[in-house]
Amino acid sequence: MRPLFSQTSVAAVRLVIAATFSVAIMFVDVRFDALNGVRQAVKTLLWPIEQVASAPSGIAQSVSTWAVSHYRLVERLQTLALENERLRTEQLKLQTLRAENSELRRLLSVQERVNERLLQAQIQRLSNDPFVHRATINRGHLAGVVVGQPVLSADGLVGQVVMVYPHASDVLLMTDSTHQLPVQVTRTRERSIAMGTGRLDRLELRNLPDTVDIVVGDLIETSGLGGRFQPGIPVAYVTEVIRSPGQPFVRVVASPVAPLSRLSLLMVDVSERGGS
Amino acid sequence: MTFAVTWLLTLLLMTIPFPSAVAWLLPHWGLLFVVWWALMRNYRLSMTLLMLASIPMDVAYGTALGLHALIFALLAYLLTLLGPRVRQVNWLRQSVVVFLVLLLAAAASYWGRTLTGQDPEFWLLIVQALCTAIAWAPMRMLFEGVARMTGEPEVRTS
Repeated sequence: MRPLFSQTSVAAVRLVIAATFSVAIMFVDVRFDALNGVRQAVKTLLWPIEQVASAPSGIAQSVSTWAVSHYRLVERLQTLALENERLRTEQLKLQTLRAENSELRRLLSVQERVNERLLQAQIQRLSNDPFVHRATINRGHLAGVVVGQPVLSADGLVGQVVMVYPHASDVLLMTDSTHQLPVQVTRTRERSIAMGTGRLDRLELRNLPDTVDIVVGDLIETSGLGGRFQPGIPVAYVTEVIRSPGQPFVRVVASPVAPLSRLSLLMVDVSERGGS
Repeated sequence: MTFAVTWLLTLLLMTIPFPSAVAWLLPHWGLLFVVWWALMRNYRLSMTLLMLASIPMDVAYGTALGLHALIFALLAYLLTLLGPRVRQVNWLRQSVVVFLVLLLAAAASYWGRTLTGQDPEFWLLIVQALCTAIAWAPMRMLFEGVARMTGEPEVRTS
């Protein structure tokens, strides 16, 4: 007599139960953010493993830094001294401009911009999953980092903090396919949403009307809508404007200003406005 | 013991930092971990343990919690069915079978990622499946070595 439930059907039932459970967890995690506590706890437990995994590259970097020749160091020192002089001059100009700007704002009765407080951070690792553009930085909530704070590089916006641990934080890069950012074209003040495409060198502005005034080379900056990012942070340069005949919308492709594929040092904007 | 050691080894491999430009050429170590257990030691594999083991992999990769559990469950089911026949063939044929099964896992991964708001390119998942299948033979040797060291009973293969 054949058994009512064979070994194969038992395995299939297990698969169905496991798959249903997995999809339910995914749904709860993505839609309700209800499992952040689990993620934080697991990430904290993973910390020693991550340190061991990073050790070889850390040692290699230390050795390579140590091995840099004296001549190259002197050369670099001279370049940095020149750069420092240039920046000091720029800073003097900036102080004058800031005073002028403050005076003009006062005359126009426009609210003063919040003075940003930037916290320097270093990238510890990038996600090895090619579809996830997430970086872990070496500053956590003990350093004052809060979820939602903007992350910048010297060139422009990088992304925002999405998960905070005691000694580290996860930063979602603006090119991640789940990231959306309110932006405006600097030249025309045309507003749009910059969407991540899953490629480090590409952002897309969708649903702009066909008649929009936008050209290749235009700078895109944060618009400040939503209150999370300060307005005016450089985001990307327009590299392609695709107008399809008969289509009501134009597709705009842009390249991030910050070199996302070779970032090392970052700054987290830990001023009051962030972390909303 | 063997499960814990191979799992820790897999997590270690998964968290080694690599430049993002080569991330899509890296084998998925987590999938190889499941392939080895489902193919070579399926009598020791527990679905509950596998699902628990998948959670840190989601955290390490930054994917939605549960995505790896879904893929692992599918892989474990398919490879447990194929196990007795696949164990008898040589490593090259095993790699081909692993690649074909990983393609199905890639489809599940694509579906799961789309469900969680990502927009993955399917061809990259295929490339990842191929790289993972190529890494199967050395990974199998590594895990067999770990099993020997931890005293796990050996399964006769060709």
